[in-house]
Amino acid sequence: MAVAHETTTGIDAAPRQQSAFSRFWQQNGAGYMFLLPWLIGFFGLTLGPMVSSLYLSFTDFDLLTSPDWVGASNYVRMFTADPKFSTSMRVTMFFVIFSVPLKLAFALGVALLLNRGMKGLPLYRALFYLPSLLGASVAIAILWRQIFAGDGLVNKVLALFGIVGPSWISNPNYSLWTLIILSIWQFGSPMIIFLAGLRQIPQDMYEAASLDGASKWRQFWKITLPLLTPVVFFNAIIQTIEAFKSFTPAFIISGGTGNPINSTLFYTLYLYQEAFGFFRMGYASALAWVLLALVAFFTAFSFLTSKYWVHYDD
Amino acid sequence: MTIKLDRRQFLMGSSALLAAGAAGVSPAWAQASSLRLIFWGGQDRADRTYKVADMFTAAKGNDIEAEFLAWNDYWPKLATQTAGGNAPDVIQMDYRYIVEYAKRNAIAPIDDLGAKLAEAGFDADQLEGGKVDGKLYGISLGANSVATLVNTGAFEEAGIELPTNAWTYDDLMEIGEAFNSANIRGGMRAIADGSYSEPMLDNWLRQRGKALYTAEGKLGFDEQDAVEWYQLWSKLREAKVCVTPDNQALDTGPLETTMLVTGKAALMPSNSNQLVAFQGLVPDKLDMVGYPRIAEGVGGGHYRKPSMFFSVGNTAADKEAAASFVDFFVSDPEAAKVLGVERGIPCLPATRDVVSPTLDGPNQIALNFVANLGDLLGPLPPPPPAAAGEVDSSLIRTLGQEVGFGAKTAEQAGKELVEGASAILSRAAS
Repeated sequence: MAVAHETTTGIDAAPRQQSAFSRFWQQNGAGYMFLLPWLIGFFGLTLGPMVSSLYLSFTDFDLLTSPDWVGASNYVRMFTADPKFSTSMRVTMFFVIFSVPLKLAFALGVALLLNRGMKGLPLYRALFYLPSLLGASVAIAILWRQIFAGDGLVNKVLALFGIVGPSWISNPNYSLWTLIILSIWQFGSPMIIFLAGLRQIPQDMYEAASLDGASKWRQFWKITLPLLTPVVFFNAIIQTIEAFKSFTPAFIISGGTGNPINSTLFYTLYLYQEAFGFFRMGYASALAWVLLALVAFFTAFSFLTSKYWVHYDD
Repeated sequence: MTIKLDRRQFLMGSSALLAAGAAGVSPAWAQASSLRLIFWGGQDRADRTYKVADMFTAAKGNDIEAEFLAWNDYWPKLATQTAGGNAPDVIQMDYRYIVEYAKRNAIAPIDDLGAKLAEAGFDADQLEGGKVDGKLYGISLGANSVATLVNTGAFEEAGIELPTNAWTYDDLMEIGEAFNSANIRGGMRAIADGSYSEPMLDNWLRQRGKALYTAEGKLGFDEQDAVEWYQLWSKLREAKVCVTPDNQALDTGPLETTMLVTGKAALMPSNSNQLVAFQGLVPDKLDMVGYPRIAEGVGGGHYRKPSMFFSVGNTAADKEAAASFVDFFVSDPEAAKVLGVERGIPCLPATRDVVSPTLDGPNQIALNFVANLGDLLGPLPPPPPAAAGEVDSSLIRTLGQEVGFGAKTAEQAGKELVEGASAILSRAAS
């Protein structure tokens, strides 16, 4: 009783200015303390390095000696005098343009199959999700090498039909496609999200459509897809960003070279080569910022066009 | 009576315990300084190196914390550690990078150790190779030379006579045709595609009296040379003497992916010290000969290269201890027996004498090869310019591949090589 009394009088007596902070602290302090580990990580490991890489992008920096300010010349060189920049950009755009829609279509297809309420659904869901967990790993990239090499699994199967296949991963005509297939194979996470989205679609719409004699095909185009567009939109953005950032498979499969003939020279791989192969940290930082701008542009573009094709209920 | 701890006391007590535990396992400060060692290489090299590190610890008391990586991962890691002021005390160094690291004071001069080793008869050319601007920055761990590795089992099976150091590119053509008509092991070809091997191009240029780079760091050959080089390999490729381009592209660096180990070719351009590692991966007996001559009797393409150095990091707390480890590594007789010629032929005569009788097959072959180069041997070229690595990875490797896959003609590739390399060199020099 006495304690409670003291507290109330304490607040009344405290000067106004001081109490603003202490009241804030009393209300939110615990929350910020819980956030502290994340905040330390964000400022120390994300924001700090980002700011310093922005600075470095205007310098020549070889790691061993201190950075020299060179103004915008890194950016100028990139757009005017660097053929590998345009090669890597072309490879990455090709990868994004083909892998993202194919992966989403595949994920949606599997989600539709799984949505028919079959037995053992959780098991299948987990199994199909598995490649997404393994996808970016070194082990899978090495496995991919074995499967698509000249004497790999794919060609052994083809040999059964009398077809002599090329060495898919080391032939510049096919190597990028093996990486696209690897990416499609990791359809698990968009599939899970599609599955959740499909569950949200009210069943009575399908019942009404069936009564009106709409075919399954028509139901898909007129009910499922339009009502699923918010989920498609979300998945498309996430997967596009992922595709732009894709690095490990190309790095492992080509041994860090982007070969054969730079056909798998992803933008991130080129960035890595500049940074850690030739120790041009300044130029690599500039490349990183251009990638960030590009991803931001694509994301903004998707948001701007979304009002024309994404249907929200509310 | 039971002991009661409330939550706060429990936390304090357990963290005190943790702190005590941590203090207990951390190295005591009074001990002899411990050394950090970093090197590139495979498991075989690591086993030998760790064994010698343990011998040094037993003899001198310094703990050695060693770390090894593959070549491609090694340089980023070393550069990052150096930039962070956290470079290891003993650093394995390559001819290509020693100038760069020395000029930036990342490694320390070790002339005292050099003088001591010179007195013991350390090969003068190998000491010279570790000098930058007159100061010694690296102790050569062995001499080696480029060499063509030969799968003798495959030659025997195909009934083809083994090449010798006298062999030429014309002989290579004949061997290739013989392999094609023998058709062994699912169409094994004679040789890996050497068109994008920088050392093989270098060797071929030297035989023509040219070089990859001049002492001033400029390009040492012209478009005509480059075009002829690509034409030579196009001819070998068309005649199916060398492996197909998509097979060659499977070679991404690790020994396991090379054409010799995957059994696609019976010959492969490599280095003399690598025979030991390759023999561990190939069931057939391996041998080695020089790179082919451009014509009968033409020599001078090969040279005795310091295969790698040990340097002392400039941030090392105890440089003397680090230098004494390097000294131990190259001169201790017991260490020499463990190391063999895996890093090249030892440069101290006393060490060579200890090693020579202990050598088994592949090591003996490597030693004999480097000791008997004869007229193949030419002078040591100047250290390559800093941008040589970029010329190799951005141009030599890519252009050879482009010609192989038919994306460019030999003429186009030759022109691009000379123009591109000149541009890279002048950009790096500015």
